[in-house]
Amino acid sequence: MKLLILALKNLTRNRLRSLLTILGVAAGMFLYSSVQTMQHSLTIATEGNAVDTTLIVYRENRFCPMTSRLPEHYMPTIKRIEGVREVIPIQIAVNNCGASLDVITFRGVPPERLRKYNPNIKVIEGSYEQFVKQTDAALVGQHFAERRGLSAGSKFEAVGVNVTVAGIISSDSPQDENVAYVHLPFLQQASKLGLGIVTQFNVKVESADLLDSIASKIDETFKSDQQPTNTRPEKAFFADTAKQMIELIGFTRWLGLGAVFAVLGLVANAVLLIVRGRVKETAILQTLGFSRLAIGLMVVFEGILLGLVGGLIGVIGAMAFFHYKSFTLGNEGLTLALAPSTSVTLTGLGVAVALGLLASLYPAWKATSRPLVQSLSS
Amino acid sequence: MSQNLISIKSVTKSFTKGKTTITPLENLSLEVPRTEFLSLMGPSGSGKTTLLNLIAGIDSPTSGQIIIDGTDISTLSRAQLTKWRASHVGYIFQLYHLVPILSAYENVELPLLLGNFSKSERKKKILAALDLVGLSDRADHRPSELSGGQEQRVAIARAIVHDPELLVADEPTGDLDRESADSILNLLNTLAKEHGKTIVMVTHDPKASAAAHRALQLEKGQFSSEGNLLNTH
Repeated sequence: MKLLILALKNLTRNRLRSLLTILGVAAGMFLYSSVQTMQHSLTIATEGNAVDTTLIVYRENRFCPMTSRLPEHYMPTIKRIEGVREVIPIQIAVNNCGASLDVITFRGVPPERLRKYNPNIKVIEGSYEQFVKQTDAALVGQHFAERRGLSAGSKFEAVGVNVTVAGIISSDSPQDENVAYVHLPFLQQASKLGLGIVTQFNVKVESADLLDSIASKIDETFKSDQQPTNTRPEKAFFADTAKQMIELIGFTRWLGLGAVFAVLGLVANAVLLIVRGRVKETAILQTLGFSRLAIGLMVVFEGILLGLVGGLIGVIGAMAFFHYKSFTLGNEGLTLALAPSTSVTLTGLGVAVALGLLASLYPAWKATSRPLVQSLSS
Repeated sequence: MSQNLISIKSVTKSFTKGKTTITPLENLSLEVPRTEFLSLMGPSGSGKTTLLNLIAGIDSPTSGQIIIDGTDISTLSRAQLTKWRASHVGYIFQLYHLVPILSAYENVELPLLLGNFSKSERKKKILAALDLVGLSDRADHRPSELSGGQEQRVAIARAIVHDPELLVADEPTGDLDRESADSILNLLNTLAKEHGKTIVMVTHDPKASAAAHRALQLEKGQFSSEGNLLNTH
């Protein structure tokens, strides 16, 4: 504790140098945390687990909602397949089918079936009843609402569709957070596709083990039909459809690695300069009886403090940035919310402390390895 | 308890610089009784600072024995020497070497951080040491707010706060004006006489040397003369 206080006091000695180092670390850790947030969001969106029991039925060989058209009457046939728990037909309308940072997605669903299909949807503002009652009503995902500054009662227009916000919803499914649910017939008419045509069916099955077999059964059922289907688990569908987006985010891994090395070099350089500027003082402390371990620990504490303070600023800055900006990456009607997470924040802080520690090991050794007499006469 | 605090037996110190072997001290022996204030004089390169560093446990001899208060410190490892210094020696430097970001109080506190003292125990010892050097009213001042003489007094307080029996001083008045130097020498004398400290001081200044109980002249690693200069001290 006493050494920690001494280290803290030492850092205040050259305030400008410490401040610049902390700002550098903060910038590096901001970049690292941003990259990690993207990676984490992508992992959540693409990695399946035992809880995921959703299948997406799409038109075969079509990858954009604009071109995927399936007859709505497929629904009862799909519902009858053994192991299927719930089916919902969805009409999708997007403002941009390509990769975009500001994608607006309307999902047209039978209003009375939405809650039954997805009981996890919670209306946090407005009312579900109002949504069911009003033809042009929309239930807007929390993330979507934050991004567009919407609240219950607001009206907005996109993709040529005018809606009134009946409620703001939250859900444990990232996709629900980024869309506006509207009435299916309303969207079919508004988007001029006509009644009876949908983009896809979302199918809930009894258990994750059944996903593949039921997907095969659905595709087999409509194989000879005029509109053959391609059915995949929701996350695999996302991973497959948003390949370009995934590759782009995958590339950012290198940026994160670069940020880590930059922080490492920055802290190591700063601590080395600190140590070099205090050769004699270190020798004096050793003369007074401070052990090499104590001196080394003091240097390491200084590195850790620089890493921790810079890390805190950078990581919390990134968390606040993603929280307030509510970025959503969209591609072909699918959205990826870049949402901050506690695990990314804690990992970022851990990395910052570890980098501070790692960067100060060599300077710590350097500070204590020189013969005392030589340091005193320097 | 032996009458001599320091007993140096046939000590040689040599080191290599490039291809040359330098021997600043050769086969040197010395006894320093307890509570003596000893001055070491000599030209540059005579080996006096090397001898001081050996006595303070900052350096180790190439051969011979250095026995301080019954402990042969020439056999101790670097880590053992560090531990030994923390409780047995107080070092006073020519340029004071106070930590600039710490107040006088905090500078004096440094050696006590190594021991198991409570905060109140530390406070008591620090205030006593500062009082002894006449700087109780400057406890909160940083080194930059003190004169050279005051800085050296803080350095002396730092050297005595953990109550070592041995004080070593390397040119303690070398950077001070005459008045401040005399004041520091009086303080060192008081520490020897009234507080039982054994002091070994290296100096170039004959006046400073005259303040000691005994002065030794070193030349080329050997004592050339010895005198009881001012026995009245």
